[in-house]
Amino acid sequence: MTQVTTARPAERVRAPRPAGRRSFTKLPLVYIVPTLVILLAFAAYPMFVLVRMSLSDVGPSNIIGEWPFVGLQNFVDVVSGSEVWASTLRTAFVAAFLLCSNLIIGFLAASVLSVKGRLTTIVLGIMVFVWALPPLVSGSLWKFLLDDSGAVNAVLGVFGLPSVSWLSEPDLALWSVAAVIAWASLPFSILIIRGGLLAISPDVLEAAALDGAGYWRTRFQVVLPLLRPTLWILGILTVLYAFKSFDFFYVLTRGGPGTVTTTLPVQSYNEAFSNFAMSTGATIAVISMLFVILIAVPYVRSIRMETTE
Amino acid sequence: MRSRKTLSTVAIGASLTLAVSGCAIQENASSDAEGVTTLDFWSYYQGGQAEWLAEEVKSFEAANPDIKINVIKTVGDQQDQKLLASVATGTTPDLFINNIVVDFPTLAAGGVFADLTPYWDDLDDESQFPTAAVWKDGDAVYNLLPFTNLVGMYYNLDILSEYGITEAPTTLDELQADMATVTADGKYKGLALSGAPDVEGAWLFAPQLLGEGINYCNFEGPKVDEAFERLDAWADADYIPKAAATWDQNASWQQFMTGGYAFAFNGNWQLGNVKDADFAYGTALYPAPEGGTSQVYPGGEGFGIGSKSEHPELAWKFIEHILTPEAGEAIFESAGSIPVRADAAESPAIQSDEFVAPFVIAASDPGTWPNNENTAKMQTALGVEVSAVISGQRSGAEGAANAIKNVADAMAEGGGGC
Repeated sequence: MTQVTTARPAERVRAPRPAGRRSFTKLPLVYIVPTLVILLAFAAYPMFVLVRMSLSDVGPSNIIGEWPFVGLQNFVDVVSGSEVWASTLRTAFVAAFLLCSNLIIGFLAASVLSVKGRLTTIVLGIMVFVWALPPLVSGSLWKFLLDDSGAVNAVLGVFGLPSVSWLSEPDLALWSVAAVIAWASLPFSILIIRGGLLAISPDVLEAAALDGAGYWRTRFQVVLPLLRPTLWILGILTVLYAFKSFDFFYVLTRGGPGTVTTTLPVQSYNEAFSNFAMSTGATIAVISMLFVILIAVPYVRSIRMETTE
Repeated sequence: MRSRKTLSTVAIGASLTLAVSGCAIQENASSDAEGVTTLDFWSYYQGGQAEWLAEEVKSFEAANPDIKINVIKTVGDQQDQKLLASVATGTTPDLFINNIVVDFPTLAAGGVFADLTPYWDDLDDESQFPTAAVWKDGDAVYNLLPFTNLVGMYYNLDILSEYGITEAPTTLDELQADMATVTADGKYKGLALSGAPDVEGAWLFAPQLLGEGINYCNFEGPKVDEAFERLDAWADADYIPKAAATWDQNASWQQFMTGGYAFAFNGNWQLGNVKDADFAYGTALYPAPEGGTSQVYPGGEGFGIGSKSEHPELAWKFIEHILTPEAGEAIFESAGSIPVRADAAESPAIQSDEFVAPFVIAASDPGTWPNNENTAKMQTALGVEVSAVISGQRSGAEGAANAIKNVADAMAEGGGGC
């Protein structure tokens, strides 16, 4: 027995290896193929149809028939109008507003909430709840609160202040909707920044304290630079969120009053599904997608750099 | 190794089985073992109309035990998109309602409707229905309108009495004067209406021009300017709140029902709901422009059968049930909608109702919708400008100029026909 076992170890170990290696090399395919199929079916194909629609003349009468190819005519028509540029500016405004709120308020709130305690746990729980609320639900709630006779104006009334038309005053409506979107996206930012804060070595903070830096000085001169990669990625995600944000506009103002809250996604929706100008809607969506790609490229690059590091 | 292979085989087999059986289940979904056929009905009715539909389904199923109507609740302003998509996927519902004001040209062009011509030609009561009830594309009948909905004016009698106003205004100038009176001390507001930047805003504003002979086909000239200037003046004077620029019809109705508004422009479908008001109320024709008449566009839901329905004959049986005079009187009782078939509209219950009388008068001489594929876009173009003027984003003159241009552009894009 002993002889047998000692005489054949090399063979016994060697024999199964090739088979095992083969099965190991095949295994990723089992995972990759379904992922690839799902990605092609639910992301690549719809995107292909969207681009094809933007290059064709499609309306309700031929949506299930032939789509005549019109080249870049739809793009020429859309960019030669003024409305798409106005929508782009409004979208950019929302992005800028969200960047300010998510990064500045997000950092300050995360700094406060990085201190462990029962209150922190409760606040984090509430934030997760807010974050998990469907936009249609929270949007309807805010519509009620911001109504002329809603709770916000009732509070103003208590202090003797006049009622404000938060959602129907042309100079204010976009600010109001952007603020609601910021309210909904802030918990995500706080959680991300807090995660980054907690990952910073306590030794660094201790060293700063020994050097005589106070709490906020440590935050701004030590912690903030260390958080730069996290804030960079969060900033890009925030801009992407602004460019795809539609739900709150739909619930709160439907792009109105007039067109003051018509952003690129809203304009695309209105053209495609209210006016049934499918090609125009698709063209605006593609233009919006191009903006997103421009922003997504640095995001992917920064992710790669993070991975490499 | 073997166990992995077995696991993979089982997984693939199970997936295929699920897929195949899923298809099989879907194939047989409309008929069960007892021979009961289920018809899917996409409906966005709410309130009294939804209750009426539920009652009609109940009585139909009692009379036809082999047919079950599965009412699937949908969202009104997404109905047309879903219907168009269902044609592409071959899954149109057996039955559906649609907003004829906006959707018919689009849905007909999109191939959503089954051809109802043979069924309609065989209907015994065909002569009871006016031409306006039968919606055709070419010579083919696609959509039937069993009852109509129109806009009119509601007023809060308590508020008017408080300010010594004894009669409801019949013209826009009288309305303006009354609004000035009731809003002077800031206790009440003037008019609750939808000024949403879409078809709803257009639907409520268009009668101010229609009564002067201006419709979507000849939408231009000084009368358009005057109407927008008047709207601007009403908004400036706070007779209409700025918030109305984003209100849909339901939101504006809720505001009227608070008792804080003297007047409301809304439809006869609210006649069922206004009974819940805590104040005395009345109804009147939509006020006429000076020198013009009171005229509004006809609205309401058309009933259609999906082009991909496997049971169009059974679906038609349900539509026949909806077209009966009993169903017409029931929708009036339940939601205040006015049946279009002659014998139902002339029933004592409808004729003797003082609140429905203005709507019955309006239904006798409604405006004519444009026959253009871009009807929805033309209305949206008007609605956006109405909303912009109410909110103060644009002046009356700017709103009028934009509306004239954009309506004309939309009409031209839709082929130019009207």
